[in-house]
Amino acid sequence: MKMVIGIIKPFKLDDVKEALKHVGIQGLTISDAQGFGRQRGHTEVYRGAEYTIDFVPKVRIEVLTEDGDVERIVNLIIETARTGKIGDGKVWVVPIDSVYRIRTGEAGPDAL
Amino acid sequence: MADLCDTILREVAGTVALKGRWAVVAQGSYARAEICPGSDLDVVLLHAGRGSAAATAARSFWYPFWDAGVVLGHAVRTPKEALALADEDLDAMTALLDLRFVAGDEGLADEVRSRGRALARKRRDRLIAALHEASSARYDRPGPLAEMLEPDVKEGAGGLRDVQALAWSGWAVADPGGWPGLVAVGALDPGDVAVLQAACDHLLDVRVALHRVTGGRSDQLAKQEQDAVAAVVGASDADALMRDLSHTARQVGWIGREAFDRLAGPARGRGGSDERDLDLGIGLRDGRVVLHADAAVTVSSTLRVAAAAAEASAPIDRATLARLGDVDGTVAWTTDDRAAFVRCLRAGRRLVAVFESLDHVGALVRLIPEWAHVRALPQRNAYHRFTVDRHLLETVVECDDLLDSESVDGDIARRARLDLLLLSAFLHDIGKGLPGDHSEVGAERAAALLQRLGLDDHGVGVVVWAVRNHLLIADTATRRDLADPETIVRFGRAVGDTERLDLLYALTIADSRATGPAAWGSGKALLCRQLFGEGDALLEDGVVGPRLAAERRAVLERHAGLLAAGELAVEWRTRDDGLFECTVAARDRRGLLANVAGVLTLTGFDIQGAAAYVDTDSGMALEVYRGVDRFGRLDDAGRRDFATMLRSALDGALPLRQRLRERIARYRNPDPGVDRSVSVHVDPDASASATVIEVMAPDEVGLLASVAAVFADLDVDVSVALVSTTGTRAVDVFYLRDAHGAKPTDPKLLQRIRATLVARLTTDYVLPAPG
Repeated sequence: MKMVIGIIKPFKLDDVKEALKHVGIQGLTISDAQGFGRQRGHTEVYRGAEYTIDFVPKVRIEVLTEDGDVERIVNLIIETARTGKIGDGKVWVVPIDSVYRIRTGEAGPDAL
Repeated sequence: MADLCDTILREVAGTVALKGRWAVVAQGSYARAEICPGSDLDVVLLHAGRGSAAATAARSFWYPFWDAGVVLGHAVRTPKEALALADEDLDAMTALLDLRFVAGDEGLADEVRSRGRALARKRRDRLIAALHEASSARYDRPGPLAEMLEPDVKEGAGGLRDVQALAWSGWAVADPGGWPGLVAVGALDPGDVAVLQAACDHLLDVRVALHRVTGGRSDQLAKQEQDAVAAVVGASDADALMRDLSHTARQVGWIGREAFDRLAGPARGRGGSDERDLDLGIGLRDGRVVLHADAAVTVSSTLRVAAAAAEASAPIDRATLARLGDVDGTVAWTTDDRAAFVRCLRAGRRLVAVFESLDHVGALVRLIPEWAHVRALPQRNAYHRFTVDRHLLETVVECDDLLDSESVDGDIARRARLDLLLLSAFLHDIGKGLPGDHSEVGAERAAALLQRLGLDDHGVGVVVWAVRNHLLIADTATRRDLADPETIVRFGRAVGDTERLDLLYALTIADSRATGPAAWGSGKALLCRQLFGEGDALLEDGVVGPRLAAERRAVLERHAGLLAAGELAVEWRTRDDGLFECTVAARDRRGLLANVAGVLTLTGFDIQGAAAYVDTDSGMALEVYRGVDRFGRLDDAGRRDFATMLRSALDGALPLRQRLRERIARYRNPDPGVDRSVSVHVDPDASASATVIEVMAPDEVGLLASVAAVFADLDVDVSVALVSTTGTRAVDVFYLRDAHGAKPTDPKLLQRIRATLVARLTTDYVLPAPG
């Protein structure tokens, strides 16, 4: 099993969610995230007041999946979340030892 | 259940051999015979003898319960220990007040209980203060039962704990104590006892049902359990359950606050010896706001009493409040009435208690009939914590906090018109629970209400707009690409002016904070602030992107060398983001933009962004283009060719339009899925010195050249051009001046520009032959 983790632009979340649902992904976890990559933070000015934005708001998506589906999910996230501009985010995959469903106690792929 | 436990304990008592006086007593919910399925069972063995023997004997009492898996709170104490503990610990004291004899020496149990009650009276002030403080703290945590969507039935403010706290306070002031004790000292009205008893029964029913349904011990009535609990207690559905519960909890909360106020307040004076005037016909007597008997109850006096109470942070006198319940709210409001109402709304957290009092006697609904619908209205939504009415008040309170804050957000909130901001906060969800989109329905309701309140037309327009669009910033910021200029332009168009933008931004912050912690993360705050900044730049300066004036100055300074040459000069560089940048300086002349953009297109440079400025001092124009070298032709030789072609185009030697037309026909994007809609927006008010035109169109080869050619043909100068492209769409903003350098305002000319642009951009992108 694998966990696919994506950091995407917040406004792309709905699109990514719909796309994943469309290919039968049963569940995903999202959280607000902030950070910087090459995009860096920046300074914004309006009407005299200056803000420094050190971290850029993003959304983090996590999807637990069987090994065979990883590539499809990764590609789907990349395709859907891409705007072609800086700050589109990243996707990475990590191996998972074990997964349990709390309600039933099912383990492994059954718990996905 | 309590009876069963009594029987077991008595049976064990028959077998226990313990010297001296002893008694088994029940405490807590067991003592009050209010055991719920998940309740702990609190039992104490009181004894007058040696501790070790008692401890051994006690175990024989506890074992049957331990064996049965009951959660037992147990203790072994001498009377002296029990009283000493009660003197130190609030929970121990209240447990003693409720103590009930079960087995053993009844005299011992009675003695301890009466000594405990005597102690309570001796410590009257301390005990009442502690109970009052605990009761107030329940409003913050776990929060008001009546207004939480997932309330705590036991510990929530207005819940079972408050009902009990009142009974305990009774024992601190009288014997017999309890609720009747409070009536005896005038802290409760006689009718309150029956209300409290009914409330207690209702809350217990719900708690028992909750424990049954969940099989657990939690007293939090989660949304997922509400349907099942409703079925057990016989409510028609979850909403009905929550409304009933809310009604009960409001009564408990209100009676409780009133009682504690009276207990804490100074002894009731006679003849208003320490009265001071707050307003015409309104005074502060013994810490309470009073409407004089000879002053009539009107909309005006009701609102002024409310404002005085909110500002003085004092409760409204109960007799006065009862009179306010009959206020005739059907009359039109005056300017002073509205001012009093806004004073209430500006009072911050204190407004909540005042509005709850008015609501308790029905005055709030008489003043604002639209309020009836949102009263105690639950919301089925994962983000919200509160019922709709409380959420509206919380939003007003958050606005007040924002208005008092030192932050930049506070500055923005203070730029908004105070009454309009607070009224928008008060009304933004007034359409909830009605059929249709709550923003739309709410806007209609708000319009009718505000007209009755006599607000000026401009104000009504702004508030109604804010109610209708109160989710615009949050939705746009979190669901649209803020880097896409089209998002900003659409947003700016939807908002229209900075007055609305400031107000809506402040309302968005207050609404989100009042909704619940999940609705206002720092990520969302940043996005909303970014959108505000972009919108503000658009509405203040009429430009998309960075502030115009500063940007223009910086660009002109950076290229001072090019401009100083006074003749055509071209400079190329590769930007950090990998795009090419081509900077052209030339003597300003009509059609310069069209020529440069056209020649760039011919050389295969795909323009993704452009900015053009005129330096009026030197008469030079500076144009900066960013883009992609589509065919890899722009090496040193290609760049020299570009300069040569540009010179010949400017001299009129190059058939530029002809060649562009061929090129556009060849490279036109054939994808039928491309959004080909074109919109042209002419805004003569966006800038003082120029008329601003925004063009939103599919990004095609030669687009900028086509648009610029229109301006040249119609004899208007482009003083500033800002072009940006995202994906397949382009947003181009142009600042236009006429041949004399003045701002073109002639409606016929503007109409002509607009129509020509639309015509050329929608008819297959082919430029007309040079005219």
